[in-house]
Amino acid sequence: MEADAQLVQHMMSPQNYGEMKDNDATGMGKNPKNGEKVAIYLKVKKEEELTIEDISFQAIGCTTTIVAGSIITSEAKGITFSRARELVSITLGMLDNVPPEDAACTEMVAIALSAALDTYLKREEDSDYPMISYLIETDCTPKEEGDDAPTI
Amino acid sequence: MHQLFKELHELFLATQFTAFISKTSTRQELYEFTNIFFKHFTWVENAFVKEREAYSYSVDHIPIKVTQLSHMINNILERMDSVEEKLDSCKDEHITFRVRSDFEYIRQVLEKIPDEDAATAFDTKRVYPNVELTDEARDALTIFLFEESYKEYELIMVYNYSKANSDDAFLNRIFQILIDESFFHLRSFGEMMADMGILGVPRTLMEEIYKFDDLKQFLKDGIEEEIGAKEECKRLAEAVSSSSEYFAAFFTFINNQENYHIALMEEALAYIEGK
Repeated sequence: MEADAQLVQHMMSPQNYGEMKDNDATGMGKNPKNGEKVAIYLKVKKEEELTIEDISFQAIGCTTTIVAGSIITSEAKGITFSRARELVSITLGMLDNVPPEDAACTEMVAIALSAALDTYLKREEDSDYPMISYLIETDCTPKEEGDDAPTI
Repeated sequence: MHQLFKELHELFLATQFTAFISKTSTRQELYEFTNIFFKHFTWVENAFVKEREAYSYSVDHIPIKVTQLSHMINNILERMDSVEEKLDSCKDEHITFRVRSDFEYIRQVLEKIPDEDAATAFDTKRVYPNVELTDEARDALTIFLFEESYKEYELIMVYNYSKANSDDAFLNRIFQILIDESFFHLRSFGEMMADMGILGVPRTLMEEIYKFDDLKQFLKDGIEEEIGAKEECKRLAEAVSSSSEYFAAFFTFINNQENYHIALMEEALAYIEGK
């Protein structure tokens, strides 16, 4: 990851980091290969459309994961569920142009957000529904030079 | 007592990272006070352990970006006032008497600390006096410092939790050495972060990091991580060696220190497996 000024700010002071005790839903993104994980906590407002009133995250992961969590949760705060789905989709769509180790970290945050949205919707039908976890598909092993094999 | 414990933890962290801002002898004074606050924290922790009461290392984000050192010194004084208001929630009078007495002295010293400009610790310029870093070396060093400052804080807390909850003298000797070593590394990296203008307090730990069930697996993973950290130091020493002999020597020195950490963890692992 190149550390430009904006990214350094997120490293120095990650936004929305920490557990949210009185959350309405939690979702988890996991890397099955190395045990890294991201939890996203949502506080939801029921308006015309469901809206993310507040959001926070915690992670066992590297600096890239923390920066991705800080950026994505900042973007997600205050938006509707449908906009949040778009945010997840746009984020996942950009990963092809990112080095695999950075892509895996970002994917982990995006799918954690997706899992949190899904957990909330399931809990509207069944309040005991357990937290949903999704696994990342990107392999975060950096490619060797000349290795054109697609990432898993 | 949980709120007292959390605030003591936050006080120890705020003081430790304020120390990095200072470029004078104040830094050493704040290191000493950090050590004292950390001791207070572990004594209250021991009160939980004695009462078999579950506790957590969760803390709130600690804002530290200031323009003057005095702003953080005043923040530390306010944190001390708040801790003192909650001291009676700890029923061990020997601890509370000691904390009050220490605070009385520390307040007197803090109130007389000369002010310093703090802005350079947060200006994100990422330049070192008399060292010309390539862009690649600067980025590598930046990410390394954020990764490792968090990691050293994590290790201090993980080994501290293990030590607090173990009666085994053999293992506790090893845990204490690793805590002391991690403090040294945290301070080395924290000073470098302030020099580069990228100082920030590490994020709070997830509970499962220090509340693990399998010490054997933790040590095995820890050995792997130390080997990884050694490699990272080696790579970094190579990346910065053309820019700075000092940095290259420093990262080789840190790299070699990891060897002893690995030896200690292997010793602990062999001990557990032989039990």
